[in-house]
Amino acid sequence: MTHYDFEVTGSKVARCHIKVDMVNDNFLELIGEIIGPPDTAYDGGKFKLEINIPDTYPFNPPKVKFVTKIWHPNISSVTGAICLDILKDQWAAAMTLRTVLLSLQALLAAAEPDDPQDAVVAKQYKENRKTFTQTARHWTNVYANGPHRECELEKILEQAKNMGFDEHKARVALSSSDWNLERATESLLTS
Amino acid sequence: MASDTASGDKGSGPNESTETDNSMFECNICLDSARDAVVSMCGHLFCWQCLHQWLETRPNRQTCPVCKAGISKDKVVPIYGRGSTDQKDPREKLPPRPQGQRAEPEAQGGFPGFGFGDGGFHMSFGIGAFPFGIFASTFNFNDGRPGPPPAGSAQHQEEQVLSKFFLWVAVIFIIWLLLA
Repeated sequence: MTHYDFEVTGSKVARCHIKVDMVNDNFLELIGEIIGPPDTAYDGGKFKLEINIPDTYPFNPPKVKFVTKIWHPNISSVTGAICLDILKDQWAAAMTLRTVLLSLQALLAAAEPDDPQDAVVAKQYKENRKTFTQTARHWTNVYANGPHRECELEKILEQAKNMGFDEHKARVALSSSDWNLERATESLLTS
Repeated sequence: MASDTASGDKGSGPNESTETDNSMFECNICLDSARDAVVSMCGHLFCWQCLHQWLETRPNRQTCPVCKAGISKDKVVPIYGRGSTDQKDPREKLPPRPQGQRAEPEAQGGFPGFGFGDGGFHMSFGIGAFPFGIFASTFNFNDGRPGPPPAGSAQHQEEQVLSKFFLWVAVIFIIWLLLA
């Protein structure tokens, strides 16, 4: 059994819905998966993470980013980069992949809009919480296989698709403009 | 895995229970049985090698890897087990693990009401030979002292004068001490 397996294979893991798999034979590239915490917009979604273990691990933090697209103030909706202190200067050598994944799960449940990674999402989170929650749930449904559909948003998206826009680009533009179709098409046409 | 290396003492015991027993003594950084074990003031166990490397990684912000309490190299306590091989040759591995600190046991009996028990209170009387101290230290800044200058030279005469002068100063000082 390896160090990394040992880190993650605690008895609590099954209940917390996190897991880590190897990409190839070395332990430096891993794929993590967390389930969106219940009673949040991410409920039931399966979020894949790319985990790169540095040579200096565990003295330096693993490099983690979201592979699954996600709408969250502290996670870039474009690159999946994560803004979380323990992945930067607050890392401690006693932390493990298990604690990292659990922290990410906690981050999904409690965003920090004042320390944003994605400014557009953070602004929406602070100013228009209802739209934010709907958008996040819609992204979870589409990209992370979440169970909750947002029919209202899907209708608006359908309209944009009928205008000939690429689905993902239309979704990003709509999400960024609070699902205002006019503003979204404007930004799609100018870009 | 950690339990494999450390479970030799109870060979046939159930695997689950030995694992939890041994995990009590696992290093919080490498998750193996702690080697050259040290414990921080906040009570967390590490291999000395692991903790040293952690402190070297972040020299500006030295915190306990477990609880983030303030921590430093000279404030960790080494743990010497009975079967420890480390005591045979403690300095072989660099960096050396810090020494244990032995405090004297607290004094029994005496006068518990008094603030100064044995060893706690010192008083000293002294008469500082002030001018000699100054001369002795200021005139001694050459390490390798040169030999005495040959008799008859100007320097020799000068030294004779100086030594007489200091002799008189000493005599006057002693007389002054006796009279005072």
